[in-house]
Amino acid sequence: MTIDSATVLSAQKLSKAVDGPDGRLTILDDVTLAVERGASLAIVGASGSGKTTLLGLLAGLDRPTAGAVTMAGQRLDTLDEEARARLRRRLVGFVFQSFHLLPALSAEENVMLPLELEGRDDARQRAQAVLGDVGLAKRLHHYPHQLSGGEQQRVALARAFVHGPELLFADEPTGNLDQRTGAAVTDLLFALNREHATTLVLVTHDPKLAARCARTVHMRDGRLAEAAA
Amino acid sequence: MKPFAFAARSLRREFRHGELATLGAALVLAVAALAAVGTLASRVESAILASASELLGGDLGVAARRAAVPEPFVEQARADNLATNRIVEFSSVVFAGDASQFTEIRAVDPAFPLRGTLNVRDADGGERTAPAPASGEVYADRAVLVGLGRRVGERLQIGGRDLAIAGEIVNAPGGSVFQFAPTVLMSLADAESAGLLGPGSRASYRLLVAGDAAAVERYAGWARAHLPPATRLTTVEDAQQNLRTAFERGESFLRLAALLAALLAGIAVALAAQRFARRKTEEVALLRCLGASRGEIVLALTLELALLAIPACLIGAALGLGLQQAAFAFARELLPGSTPALPWGPAASAFVIGLAVLFGFALPPLLRLRDVEPMRVFRRDLETRIRRFDALYLLPFAVGAVLILVESGSGRLAGVLGGGLLGVAAATLAVTVLLLKALRVGGRRLPGALRFGLANLVRRRALTLIQVGALALSLTALDLLAVVGPSLLERWRADLPADTPNYFVLNVQPDQRADFQTRLAGLGAQNLSLLPLAAGKLVAINGKPPQAADFTDERAGNWIEGEVRVSWSAEVPPSNRIVQGTWHGGGGDTPQLSVDQSWFEMFKLALGDTMTLRIGEQEITATVSSVREVDWDSFRVNFFMMLDPAHGAALPHSFIASFHLPPAQTGLAALSREMPNISLVDINAILDRVRDIIERVSSAVTWVLGFSLVAGLLVLLAALAATADERRFEIALLRTLGANNGQLNAAVLGEFAALGLLAGVVAAAGAAATGIALARTVFRLPDYWPPLGTLGLIAIGSTILVMLAGLAGTRRIARTPPVTVLRGAS
Repeated sequence: MTIDSATVLSAQKLSKAVDGPDGRLTILDDVTLAVERGASLAIVGASGSGKTTLLGLLAGLDRPTAGAVTMAGQRLDTLDEEARARLRRRLVGFVFQSFHLLPALSAEENVMLPLELEGRDDARQRAQAVLGDVGLAKRLHHYPHQLSGGEQQRVALARAFVHGPELLFADEPTGNLDQRTGAAVTDLLFALNREHATTLVLVTHDPKLAARCARTVHMRDGRLAEAAA
Repeated sequence: MKPFAFAARSLRREFRHGELATLGAALVLAVAALAAVGTLASRVESAILASASELLGGDLGVAARRAAVPEPFVEQARADNLATNRIVEFSSVVFAGDASQFTEIRAVDPAFPLRGTLNVRDADGGERTAPAPASGEVYADRAVLVGLGRRVGERLQIGGRDLAIAGEIVNAPGGSVFQFAPTVLMSLADAESAGLLGPGSRASYRLLVAGDAAAVERYAGWARAHLPPATRLTTVEDAQQNLRTAFERGESFLRLAALLAALLAGIAVALAAQRFARRKTEEVALLRCLGASRGEIVLALTLELALLAIPACLIGAALGLGLQQAAFAFARELLPGSTPALPWGPAASAFVIGLAVLFGFALPPLLRLRDVEPMRVFRRDLETRIRRFDALYLLPFAVGAVLILVESGSGRLAGVLGGGLLGVAAATLAVTVLLLKALRVGGRRLPGALRFGLANLVRRRALTLIQVGALALSLTALDLLAVVGPSLLERWRADLPADTPNYFVLNVQPDQRADFQTRLAGLGAQNLSLLPLAAGKLVAINGKPPQAADFTDERAGNWIEGEVRVSWSAEVPPSNRIVQGTWHGGGGDTPQLSVDQSWFEMFKLALGDTMTLRIGEQEITATVSSVREVDWDSFRVNFFMMLDPAHGAALPHSFIASFHLPPAQTGLAALSREMPNISLVDINAILDRVRDIIERVSSAVTWVLGFSLVAGLLVLLAALAATADERRFEIALLRTLGANNGQLNAAVLGEFAALGLLAGVVAAAGAAATGIALARTVFRLPDYWPPLGTLGLIAIGSTILVMLAGLAGTRRIARTPPVTVLRGAS
């Protein structure tokens, strides 16, 4: 597979195995994949099929046993953990199923976090603006436990987009929400994605959510099976 | 990322949210306890030392035999800005008309006394503080005035000089307690001009110095390096053997209390730090995910800790100083002498120790956080791989060891306490592992809620071990403070029971012995020991005349050149214990000798060696057949050398007696008049002095112990409340699943009862063992036995306390709606 300039993320012959009590267990087996800039990709599959492992490898959160990931022209396997962290800080945003907001920080402070990591002075203003975009201008000083699930995920979305990442990784972003709230959050996610021209990689087992992505791939027992878009 | 700004912001946010408040509070409390106890102990100690200085008559003495203390010692003292006082002591007969009296003369220069006050009684009976005797004047003990039949204002003669009696001595600093002749205090110039200090006078010379503590320390260093033979330094600490033991024990008690407070503080901080690190794990994983580097995370965490620690330690130190000031105001009247200045050292060291303990205990788990996998944000179950050995974890142990060593100021105290605590830690580990194994196997048979509570212990194995360990160590410290310390003090007080001998009688002749004993019995004397006494010279050891230069201990020279006394008895005297060899009993064919342990070491003897004594015209060569440990604090008649009676009885001798009679017993004066040759020594004053010191020190120590105890309890409760938080999630889950209050309580109580009982029992056993070891090695109270019943009760009490604290901690959580907890934890 060739990588053209439009490809922002690619995986080549990616494998991941771990040592378990019953010997070596292969979680991901020979996965090759390319994602174009601005595209949206859904990775679907049953629980334990290897979706989240693939997401982690694509985001550079973990190292593969074999194969390579290229992000924005950088081979991740040539970078050490520190360099990958710098790359993530610049290029990547995350949305998690369980939100992962820091309980000790207010909504505003949670959103400021990626900007603070970059050492930006306009962190507060930017955070306020983006929280306004997600409709939480009145919830700036609320703590996570004072927010509903939907609101918490909107804070997480704001945090994911606040530093203008090129890539957004989302792991079951609506998994912890009811149908209506989930739909609202999904709308917001795709709206922000369009607005920021972000490349979206999304893990889900919700076919409706997957259908909103331009492209869907299926994971089965650690292997990839492409489905028609 | 700007680590400093980031750390400051994190600190502010987390503090506001209460996240860091527990750690901050533990630190403030710990440093406050440490600063308060340390400062109080130091002030009490300096008050005691000041009182000891008064006994010595100065801060440091240089003593020489036969010749004056060399001039350079005086010049150096002046160069160091120290005040000096020369004293010469010798025995002489004093005359008044036809009467004569054997006395101990102390000739002093006008600087006397450098420390303490000289009090005399005038002819009219009024007491006053007096300066050193002027030329042409003396002060004399009452016994001298009675012996000579003179009053204050009349005259006496010493060495041909006619001197005015200017006062009766009430209190003169720097005297020896057990001198067997009454004292006359005269001017040094008079003694010199009367030719009393010529060759062969057998005088002993002392130079006393006093001044700034640092200057005295410096001078002591210089003097030690320049001491000629037959000269030695006498410090405040060895001013008086009996009092010294009292001082040393008092000091050890204070240090023990301060050390235990420090230990409790360390445990509290360690628990809070551990918890802080655990809570940070999720956050670090997220930050890693968002692209923070390892270096940035470590730097930010360290900075955050420093930003928390420095103000907390400052507040703690200030609070501690305030607390000790309040305690000192209460304890003030119990202390002898003037008010010692507020020392800053202990508060400063509490500050440093606070930082050291925090970083020592908190850094290892925090630094380990840099290894948290960013993938943990997706997989909560992704535990950071635990390395089997991590050198970082040695840091808290090193901090603990240094803490114990520095605070104890004594290797022996540090060793016993360190060993005891290590033993407690090891025993706790072993017993807990066994309990967890048993629970895993047998836990299934327990009823529901209780099973859940105990299963938690098994599930959180590492945390359980840490918590039981910390709990056992804190309870050991509390047991030592609450039970062992006071009972040791009680045992110390009992060292001088009411019937402690308060009179000594010398020079009872063999033909007076039976009559004397009958008369004493008639007066109601108790605790009588009557032993023969023969005085002479030590002329040979293993056939060779001993030389002072052969022995490193300079006291050996005193005995070689001076008089030695020997006694004999068929039974081992009370307050003596055979530590080597066999007691000679009635005696055999050849003379047998039992030697005091300190002599045995001083003269480098071995069992089977011979010692030759010349007593009057006779010489006796005896084989050393046993070594005794003598309790010199018992105020009984005791001897360095004891012969077998079969051979001793043949030597020229008199008898010496010690006994107890209520003071102001008039019959004794009559006895003294009827047997004019006997000398009666009244030691009620010194006994009162020792009792006074014991009382004052133990009252002050009770204060310090009590203070440490309260601080320790607070620390323990805070730590327990914090561990209750760990159960947040389980309790919410149980509630969600429909558990009622009773079931929740059963789960929590079961878990905490197991923790408390285990820790309480191990702690009681550990405290008892440590107490026995402390009594034997540090406090020299060999027959001390800790009150096991009380310790057992405390173990039960602490179990209940732990259960209640656990219940109180979880109650708050149980009141929170479970959905809040579950949502927060998800």
